[in-house]
Amino acid sequence: MATSETKYWGLLDYTEDSVIDFPAGIPGFEQEQQFILVEQQALDPLVFLQSLATPALCFLALHVRVVCPDYKFRMSEEDLEVLGIPGTRQPPIGPDLACLTLIHIEEKDITANLLAPIVIHVPARRGMQAILAGTDYSHQHRIDLVEAPVCV
Amino acid sequence: MLMMKRRAGESILIGDDIEIHLAHIGRTRVKIGISAPRNIPVVAKEVKLVRDQNRAAASSHLAGTLARLVARVVPNKVQGRTPAADERQ
Repeated sequence: MATSETKYWGLLDYTEDSVIDFPAGIPGFEQEQQFILVEQQALDPLVFLQSLATPALCFLALHVRVVCPDYKFRMSEEDLEVLGIPGTRQPPIGPDLACLTLIHIEEKDITANLLAPIVIHVPARRGMQAILAGTDYSHQHRIDLVEAPVCV
Repeated sequence: MLMMKRRAGESILIGDDIEIHLAHIGRTRVKIGISAPRNIPVVAKEVKLVRDQNRAAASSHLAGTLARLVARVVPNKVQGRTPAADERQ
């Protein structure tokens, strides 16, 4: 068990196998190469992507299908290689391949970046931000959270 | 926006130092060579969009109630978890 300082929860315990490597970081944060996913039932469907290197950096995300139930994407061979997925076959979103969308909140405006999903190959614990050039998905897809998405 | 017609193998100059060379034209994609001074960043437009969006997202502030709720609900219980751990529950 390791401990890390975090943006929202102070010192947080995590197990080594919950660390996800981002070999290339993500655009704008290339030096951030390790994140932990923090999920909790009471905050479902929110997912937090907490950087291990920078406690103040914690992205807010949603599983992409929460925002867009029929979300489809195709990663390039290079992307699959970064994730340690052999061959050219991309597994579907599911237990082995998590697909999250980063959320941007400004006042009452909430948008999800569907153009560039965070894709995590769960068995390898590797992640990257895939950029789906040539698709119609927006990097600022407006979403409406229902009042009080969090129930305690 | 200035529109120009060029064939494969031809080039366009922007100022004195930037050259855009149309190396290959396929059915749906174009291969472009770009020569530019080191201090001029060259990236695909989507990369810049995503970078800017990530920076904005990183400084997103959770609205008051949600921020308090996050801080209140989570301590003691939270573990970093992989999606796989989640699926199994």
